[in-house]
Amino acid sequence: MKSQVIKLTNISKLYTLHHEKPTLMERIVDGKDEDFYALKNINLSIAQGERIGLIGENGSGKTTLLKIITRITSPTQGSIVTKGRIVSLIDLNAGFHPDLTGIQNIFINGMVLGMRKKEILSKLERIIDFADISKFIDIPIYTYSEGMKLRLGFSVAIHTDPDIIILDEGLSVGDFEFQTKCQRYFNDYFKSGKTLIVCLHVLDFIKNNCDRVLIMKDGSIIADGPISLIDKYETHKI
Amino acid sequence: MKLDAFYYFWEFLAEMTSKELRARYKKTSFGFLWMIINPILQMLVIGLVFSFFVKNQVDNYFMFLFIGLLTWSFFTLSLTKCTPSIFDQRGLIKKAYFPRLVIPLAILLSNYIHYIISLGLLLIVLLFVGKFTFTSLIYLLLTQIALLIFTIGLSLFTTAINVRFRDVNFFVQALLILWFYATPIVYPLSFIPEQYRGIWYINPLTGIIQLLQHIAAQSQLPDLNGFIANLLTSFVFLLIGVFIFQRESKNFDDWI
Repeated sequence: MKSQVIKLTNISKLYTLHHEKPTLMERIVDGKDEDFYALKNINLSIAQGERIGLIGENGSGKTTLLKIITRITSPTQGSIVTKGRIVSLIDLNAGFHPDLTGIQNIFINGMVLGMRKKEILSKLERIIDFADISKFIDIPIYTYSEGMKLRLGFSVAIHTDPDIIILDEGLSVGDFEFQTKCQRYFNDYFKSGKTLIVCLHVLDFIKNNCDRVLIMKDGSIIADGPISLIDKYETHKI
Repeated sequence: MKLDAFYYFWEFLAEMTSKELRARYKKTSFGFLWMIINPILQMLVIGLVFSFFVKNQVDNYFMFLFIGLLTWSFFTLSLTKCTPSIFDQRGLIKKAYFPRLVIPLAILLSNYIHYIISLGLLLIVLLFVGKFTFTSLIYLLLTQIALLIFTIGLSLFTTAINVRFRDVNFFVQALLILWFYATPIVYPLSFIPEQYRGIWYINPLTGIIQLLQHIAAQSQLPDLNGFIANLLTSFVFLLIGVFIFQRESKNFDDWI
């Protein structure tokens, strides 16, 4: 039996919705904040090497679940245990400082993702090569195209040698060459028996790459099973 | 493993601090030289203004004023830049989990480096005129510890609270104007009637600034009890600041 890499027990996440009222008077009279459970009592365990597709309508709690797994936010209730380095490929373009050069941003980004300095130094060449931006590496990031930033963000993220990858929309914006590069990377990644969690509306990627599907609705996981669940989901049986 | 996390934290902090510094002087022809030019210009302006236009009632008023203003500007800059920092850096916060403490601490540290450079220039002048003694050095270290403890504590507190209540940022800005006049920077504490001086020592900056002024301008030493009270208050602020920040930082993402 393969070892568990993620275990969520009774996870709930409460958000406080703050309704904006136009005037101060209205705010005092009926400006009550509303509580909203984005996740309700989630129990989930994921074993090493599983490739999970997370689907559900907008607002069903997918992003919140991913944020809790990556520890970007913490659950209101419940406990979470994870094993290994988790990296999220969400918002790859974010977090760059526009005035600093590519190299300087590689260091900051790498450290934000949990790498030590010497680790980044030893991988620097590979990171630059993969992102294919060696000509622009000592130029401020604000001159980069969106595609270049995406490639750089992706390259730094995968060079953290993650054990668990979290993937959202976003990679689809890269050009064809980049897409093939990503697919090649993922094929190698899967071969090494590592874990993936994908949350995409483009179900084809999930069909091609995943082996387990979780369907979410209103903050709960309503179905959990093999890839064939997608067909039921698509024909609105779930 | 624990040790690794410790080294990681300090490396990361150093990297973010140097990012702060580099970003500030990017695209300037003088670059890091501004870190030295700026305080010298300030010194000249203050010297000019106060030796020509203000009738001095304090000995060595220029030195007295300069060290107070330097320290104040470290304090006020740190507080105003830290308070909205989590919001400013939400790109990083939303990207991954990392010790959030690094963001305000990097701002504080980069400000402190500026402050230390200015202070160093001032000390060179003091050494040159033979006014700097061993006792001054001890006093100086004491003020730096107290100043850092207080500034870090208060900044962490306002930074953490501002994520949820953005009013804090505006409140801090208004408070700092009042605070400037409530601290003996442009005037010595001896200008305040004796029965009210106790109130001034509620402000943790009073003792620190007074001790610094003593080093630079040989003005009166702060009241010992007052200074100890200041130290204790600063320490309490540090504890509260770190506690609140660590508690709130787990859910920063929910509010930005």
